[in-house]
Amino acid sequence: MTSASFARRWPAEGWRRFCSNRLACSGLLLVCVLVVLAIAAPWLPLEDAYATQLDQRMLPFGSESHILGTDQLGRDLLARLVWGTRTSLAVGFFAVLIAAVLGSLIGLVAGYLRGWLDALLMRSIDVLLAFPYLLLALAIVAALGPGLRNAMLAIAVVNIPFFARTVRGTVLELAEREFVAAARLSGASHACVLFRELLPNILPVVIIVISTNLGWMILETAGLSFLGLGAQPPTADLGSMLGTGREFLTTAPRVAILPGLVILLLVAGINLIGDGLRDVLDPRLRGEGSSKPAPPVSHRTAIAAPTDALLYVERLSTHFVQGERTLHALDDVTLTLKPGERLAVVGESGSGKTVLALSLLGLVPSPGRIVDGHILYRGEDLAQLSEERRRQLRGDRIAYVPQDPMTALNPLLSVGTQLVEALCTHRGLTRSEGRQRALGLLEQVSIAKAAQRIDAYPHELSGGMRQRVMIAMALANDPALIIADEPTTALDVTTQVEILKLLRALCTQHHSALIFVSHDLGLVTALCDRVLVLYAGRVVEEATVETLLSQPAHPYTRGLLACSPKLGQPEKRLAPISGQPPPLDDLPSGCHFAPRCDYAEDVCRQQGIQLRPFGQAHNVRCIRAEELGPWQP
Amino acid sequence: MTRYILRRLIQLIPVLFGISLVVFLIMALLPGDPALAILGPYATPEALASLRAELGLEQPLWKRFVIWLGNVLQGDLGRSITLQRPVVDEIAERIGPTLLLAATALTLATVLGLAAGAIAAAHRRGWQDRVLTLVVLLGISMPQFWLALLLILGFAVWLGWLPVSGMFSAYGGGDFADLLRHLVLPASSLAVVVTGVIARLSRTAMLEELSQDYVRMARARGLTERKVVYKHAFVNMLAKMVPVIGLQAGFLLGGAVYIESVFQWPGIGRMLVDAIASRDLMLVQGGVLVMASSYVLVNLVADVVQHRLDPRIGLE
Repeated sequence: MTSASFARRWPAEGWRRFCSNRLACSGLLLVCVLVVLAIAAPWLPLEDAYATQLDQRMLPFGSESHILGTDQLGRDLLARLVWGTRTSLAVGFFAVLIAAVLGSLIGLVAGYLRGWLDALLMRSIDVLLAFPYLLLALAIVAALGPGLRNAMLAIAVVNIPFFARTVRGTVLELAEREFVAAARLSGASHACVLFRELLPNILPVVIIVISTNLGWMILETAGLSFLGLGAQPPTADLGSMLGTGREFLTTAPRVAILPGLVILLLVAGINLIGDGLRDVLDPRLRGEGSSKPAPPVSHRTAIAAPTDALLYVERLSTHFVQGERTLHALDDVTLTLKPGERLAVVGESGSGKTVLALSLLGLVPSPGRIVDGHILYRGEDLAQLSEERRRQLRGDRIAYVPQDPMTALNPLLSVGTQLVEALCTHRGLTRSEGRQRALGLLEQVSIAKAAQRIDAYPHELSGGMRQRVMIAMALANDPALIIADEPTTALDVTTQVEILKLLRALCTQHHSALIFVSHDLGLVTALCDRVLVLYAGRVVEEATVETLLSQPAHPYTRGLLACSPKLGQPEKRLAPISGQPPPLDDLPSGCHFAPRCDYAEDVCRQQGIQLRPFGQAHNVRCIRAEELGPWQP
Repeated sequence: MTRYILRRLIQLIPVLFGISLVVFLIMALLPGDPALAILGPYATPEALASLRAELGLEQPLWKRFVIWLGNVLQGDLGRSITLQRPVVDEIAERIGPTLLLAATALTLATVLGLAAGAIAAAHRRGWQDRVLTLVVLLGISMPQFWLALLLILGFAVWLGWLPVSGMFSAYGGGDFADLLRHLVLPASSLAVVVTGVIARLSRTAMLEELSQDYVRMARARGLTERKVVYKHAFVNMLAKMVPVIGLQAGFLLGGAVYIESVFQWPGIGRMLVDAIASRDLMLVQGGVLVMASSYVLVNLVADVVQHRLDPRIGLE
């Protein structure tokens, strides 16, 4: 998050977002009503909250001129509730003000000046935090003596650490930013930097802490009053009303229950506002992505696949919908894969390679969704199967090797456990059978000392070793298809080669087909039979490896080839493709590559370009392919 | 493991020192004359002078702290004026009930809170999530002493299922079942707020785990959704939540003050309230010191548990 710009931007946009949160709005309404009542208390047509009338004690609900009845001293309960809300609100307001001002000051000074002062302040704060919070408040009240003002001070003091810590953390983060450095270099005084540059930027943070702590502070001051350590009689205060009312719990429960209900409403309202504010002010909490993949949009048309195909994908489209934006991550992708065939999918970052891999597995993270197309695996349409059937195929018939073996293993479970799990789920093996087979798999992927390594935790293995484990996991159930998503990107070069050799050998041995996703054309030519080139979510060229290398037909493919280094040709000049891929929510009409293409003409930008045959088993999405001339590497 | 615990124990020393310093300073710097507070306004000047000498009030502050700390380290927390007995004896009697109450509440809160958080996260934006979020919001917004009163009214007064207060029945009780019956209401009312806090934090933690790569990989292995969520994501969430749960023990030890007062539970919390009301400062000092130290120890235990759960911690 860029706090600097954020602080300036949030009022208008933040308010709109806050208003769209129904719960937060109802909280705001609730608190507003209570605040207005509390402020207007002296002018409301209420009975006197302090007038004791001993002949009118404990009148029930609905008594004449006492709608909510009276308390043990004959005072009007409604009036006392309103005045009590006034007291509680005032106390909470001042307590939070004191805590926020002092805590922020400590945090600002400590975070900005650093050094011994910072160390001293923060150690003191740590000691305060080592106390159970209410007990520290009790100790302070014990020392100062009971009373509403002392209770408020005690609650304020025990809340200072929360403000100080958060503000200091933010200041440390901000102090590294350019605008602070710039202010310092321009010769501004410390005070000027602190109050003009830093203070406005920590305000959202302070508001967040206030919104989390205000509710607690009201509850805790009410608690001290409840114990008789805060507001003293006859002050109308919600906490002490509850405290004195509890003696009459069995005879007149409303005397104690009603003040508690008002506290509940008040604090719930404040917490609702707080949650809403936090959603607005803290962008980290606003993750859109849900982990659970959304089911594909279903459509009933059935299609037939070519008979010899293991996998046949037709017009597959996967979109990500975020608010009003729709990202066309994958559009109109068609491909065929024969049993045992090895297909490479290449393209730049953001070309849709990974989304294609995840779409085939049914694991597109929300808000992504397959919106159209068919994925026929041996005649079954994965895009229309039940989630349960898809799960059965995953890891059994269709396996996955992820990009980053560092994060793909559960760090808290041994690799053996995770490997055995893959076996037991699909094969119904017992644990010991699974373990035997897992040992065999680890040996197949050339992990030495498999018997020891099987009980290792992921962090105890190197990156290459972990990727071997991932491959073992993929092979566990002799899958018909392995989808490998840049399996070597996270590894160093020597390990890369070994892993590729292993993958090729094992695919041949197990007769598995392979879809190998990569951005590296050089890498895939050594491994695969056919190549699919993706650009901005569309297939732009499809050919066998030999054809693609000898006569690439799409300008983009040529660009990719031109910028991939070749071993043994250090003198070769690499020519990067200029420009950036288009934004996926605002694709250019016509050819998506046209803005970066040296060969683009007006006609390329006017109409959608179709994928068309261009020679034997060779398709291209370019209307000028014939005019490019022969390829000279 | 033992080395880790030892190292953590050594790290505790400055924290405990800081705690005792704060407790001492709060009591020592309070306005007014403790001797006068103890003996009352009608005491003779001689009596006041001799009590001051006895309490060491004539000495400089640092010397008083050293003497006091030395006594504390030898297990002498001073003498309670109102109860006329050593503070340590009183605390020794009352620490058991408080710990029992707090531990029961913490167990309840942990189990319910983690379950609620995990379920809400697994069904993000579903009806389960909405219902749980609302219930949790109510839970953390209500005064726990008020909830305690409601529970007494409902389950003890109206339904008559459970006792109104105390730890054992005066007649015919005293066995474990009797203790359990007395424990239900105070432990549940004490647990509510912390359950809510744990549920909120574990929901957030769980959502973060569910977006990790290893969860996607677990799905790609074809594990059932139940296993993915409640085995893989859950253990990771648990490991991250354990220290957070330890911190919540502070709320429980504080909340015990209210709950013990409402339920007449014979613990340290109620002792503290009485001691503050009667200005028995030695008792307050001792009680706060003991509670704060137990809190620190609970957090140590939490760190050790996390260390056990997560093989990566403490290797560096």
